[in-house]
Amino acid sequence: MCNGSKMDIKSILFAGVGGDGIITASNVAAMACMLAGFDVKKSEIHGMSQRGGSVSAFVRFGEKVYSPTDALGQVNYLFATEKIEALRANKYLNTASIGIINDRIVPIINQEIDTEYIDKKLESVKIRKIVKNFAEDALKLGNPKVINTIMMGVLSCYMPLEKEYFTEAINKIIPKRILTLNLDAFYEGILIGENTRNKNYSREVN
Amino acid sequence: MDDRTTKAIISGNEAVAIGAYKGNAHFASGYPGTPSSEILDYFKQFKDVIAQWASNEKSGLEAALGASIAGTRSFATMKHVGLNVAADPLMTSAYTGVNAGLVVVTADDPGMHSSQNEQDNRYYAKFAKLPMLEPSNEYEAMAFMQYAFVLSEKFDLPSIMRLTTRISHSLGIVKYDTRRLDNEKIFKMKKDFQKYVMIPSNAIKKHKSLLKKIEELEIYSNESPINRIIKGRSSVGIITSGVSYNYAKELLPDAHFFKVGLTYPMPVEKIKNFVESVDRAVVIEELEPFMEEELKIAGVKVEGKKYFPTDGELNLDIVKNGLEKCGFLKKDKSKVIFEDFELPKRPPALCPGCPHRPVFDILHSLKPYVTGDIGCYTLGAIAPLSAMHTTVCMGASISMGIGASKVQDDEKIVSIIGDSTFFHTGIQPLVDAYMNNAKLTIIILDNRITAMTGGQPNPSSGFNLNNKKFEPVKIASLARTIGIKRVFEVDQYNYEETKRIIEREINIDELSVIVALRPCVLSPKKIKDEPLVVTDKCIGCKRCLRIACPAIDFVNNKAVIDADLCTGCNVCKSVCPVEGAIINV
Repeated sequence: MCNGSKMDIKSILFAGVGGDGIITASNVAAMACMLAGFDVKKSEIHGMSQRGGSVSAFVRFGEKVYSPTDALGQVNYLFATEKIEALRANKYLNTASIGIINDRIVPIINQEIDTEYIDKKLESVKIRKIVKNFAEDALKLGNPKVINTIMMGVLSCYMPLEKEYFTEAINKIIPKRILTLNLDAFYEGILIGENTRNKNYSREVN
Repeated sequence: MDDRTTKAIISGNEAVAIGAYKGNAHFASGYPGTPSSEILDYFKQFKDVIAQWASNEKSGLEAALGASIAGTRSFATMKHVGLNVAADPLMTSAYTGVNAGLVVVTADDPGMHSSQNEQDNRYYAKFAKLPMLEPSNEYEAMAFMQYAFVLSEKFDLPSIMRLTTRISHSLGIVKYDTRRLDNEKIFKMKKDFQKYVMIPSNAIKKHKSLLKKIEELEIYSNESPINRIIKGRSSVGIITSGVSYNYAKELLPDAHFFKVGLTYPMPVEKIKNFVESVDRAVVIEELEPFMEEELKIAGVKVEGKKYFPTDGELNLDIVKNGLEKCGFLKKDKSKVIFEDFELPKRPPALCPGCPHRPVFDILHSLKPYVTGDIGCYTLGAIAPLSAMHTTVCMGASISMGIGASKVQDDEKIVSIIGDSTFFHTGIQPLVDAYMNNAKLTIIILDNRITAMTGGQPNPSSGFNLNNKKFEPVKIASLARTIGIKRVFEVDQYNYEETKRIIEREINIDELSVIVALRPCVLSPKKIKDEPLVVTDKCIGCKRCLRIACPAIDFVNNKAVIDADLCTGCNVCKSVCPVEGAIINV
C-alpha cells in the first residue's frame, strides 16, 4: 500500500470564454514558473474554443510534475475572466484556493442568465477571492485589452515566485508593440494585488 | 531557427515536429484534424523540408510512402479517424515496407473533445502488424519520433506514432537543439517489382515476410530500452503507457512501473518477469483494454479494466478512484469536494458574421431532411438552427443523401458539405450522384478555408501550407465538368436571393449543386464591417435570436446587438419582419 499524497505541486486553473485570451495568459504564467526554476506542465483544449465555448487551461508547477491536468479540489489559484466560468471551476477548488475573478458575465445564445443566481453562488464559494471589474482598471490604462495582464499582476502577489519572473515572461511572450502597455498593466495589477492581500481575504473587493 | 540548445515550454505536437526534423525527415504530408493539426505547421518552419497538406489522409500517407520509396525519410499526420481513411495504404504498406524511414502519426481523441468517436488506434498496429510507439510527455514525443525512423528502417516497416489529445495539446519543459542527427543513410530509389508491386504472387511472399518481421519485433520489444522498468519501493506493480503513466506515477510514486513505449508488439516476456517480481500488477490504460488483453492471452496475471473505465479520458480523479477500488490506494475520506453547480452550458456557436448561418436559417424554414458533414457547419445541427439531421464521418453528406433520396419520396433531401470536406471525400459521392441520377440538392459551403481546425488552406484557398499561391479549384466548374446541369453560385449575405435559389432547387426533381461563396470571417483574415443597431421599432419577436448569432442578446424584451462582436453581415436585418427595427448606422 502506498499513500497517494500529492507531491509538492501547485496549480493554476484558467477559465474563460473563447476569445478571452486564456491561452496567452496561461502561457505567460507557465513561462514565469519555468523561469523561476520549477518544472511545469500545461494542458489546454483546442478545437471548438474559437467558437465562443468555454475555455480552460491548467498550469501545474513544482519540483517534478507528471500530470498535465489537476484533480478535483486540488487547484491553488483560479484565474477566471468570467463569472459563470469561475463557478464551473468550483469543483476544482478548496478552502485554501485563491480566485482572481473578473466581475463580468458573458451572455449565452438563447439563454436568459439569472445574474442574481450567479452572484449568489459566487458569494457562496468558500475561497479567498478577488472579484473585480478589471475592465474599469484596463480602461484607466487606456486599453480594454489588458484585463488579463492586470489580473496576472494580482495573481503574482499570491504566488510563490518573484514578480520579476512574470515580467520576464511577459517580455518573452507579448509582442513588442504592446509590451510597455502590458508591463504597465501588470504593475497596476500588482498595486491591486498588494492592496487586497493586506485586507481580509474572504471579503470581496469591488 | 538556430541550432543552439534551448530550454522551452513546448507542446507534444511541436515536439513531434522537432523530433522528425532531428530524425532527418525531409518530407511530410497529412490532413488537419484535432488534435494533430499543428504538427505540419511547426515542421514547415524548418529549412530543407517539404511540408504539405493533402486533400485527405489517404492521399497524405501515400505521398509520404512515395517519398520514402524515393529514398527520403517521411511522415504523415492525421487524427485518429483520419487513419480510417488512410487504412488502405496503411495495411499494404506493411507488406511493401519502406525504403527510407516512414512514420505514420495518429492523434487519438479520448473524451471526444472535438471528434465524432473515440476509437482506440492501437488496434491498427495489431491489425496492420506495424510497430507502434506511445510517448508519455513532450520530451518522449521528440525522442520517440527520432527512434520511430530508426525502427522503420531497421525492420523495413512503417512505424506508427500514437499521440492522444493530452499529449498533443499538453505543454512541458524540453531542452533541445534543432540539429539534425548524424544517422542519415543514403537510400536510392529502386525499381523493385517484388517489393513494391503488390500483385498476389508478390503479396503472398510479402505477407509471410511480414509475419517473420513481427516475430523479430516481438523479440526486439523485449530487449528495447523504450520499454522500461522504473523500480519503486512498494510491493505493487503498474503496467501503463502514454499519458496514463503520468496520472499513475503522480498518485503512486512508490510503485514499480512497467512503462510501455513500444505498445505493439508488446514486450510480453519482459512484462511477465516484471509481474512475477511484484505482489500484484494492474494495467492502467486509456480507452480499450489493449495491453490487458495482449497480456492475458499470454497468460500473464494482470488486472485492469475491472477498476478503470473503457470510455472517456483518464485523469487523476478517475485513476485514483480505480487505485482505491483495487486496494493500491487507501480511500481518502477526508477530502471535501466543492459543489458542481447547475450552470447554463456554453456551447460553441457559429461566429458572428459566419456565412454558414443564413444557409441554416433558410433550411430551418424550408424543413428538408439535411444530411450533413464535418466542420464548423456541423454547429448548424444545434438548436435553434436545428437544420442538420445526420453527421457521421468526413464526406458522408452527399453519399448518404444519394441513398436517402433513392428510396423514398416523402422527404426532400439536401446534402450540405464544406469546401475542405468536399475535397477530402466529397468529390466521388458527387460523381456518384450524377452517375446514378440522384434527385438531390447539394449545398457546398465554400468558405475557402479549413476553418474548424484553425484555418488550414485547402484546394479552394488559392494558397498552400507554404503560402505559395495557385489558381483555386472552382467547385462550380468542377461540378459542371462532371456533367451536372443545375449548378448555381450564391452569396449568402444576399439572403433573399440565396433563399430563392435553395427553395427552387429543393422543389425541382433533379440533381442540383449550390455553391455558397462567402469567405470565412475568421481566416485567413478577420472580416469586420460596421455593426448594426436595433431601433425602438423592435417588437421583441425574437426572430433574430433564431439565427443564433453570438452578437445578439435580448434585454428588456428587445434585441440588442453587441457592436464589438457584430461584423455587419446583415443577416439579422434580412430575417427581421419589421422594416427599420435593425439598421445600418
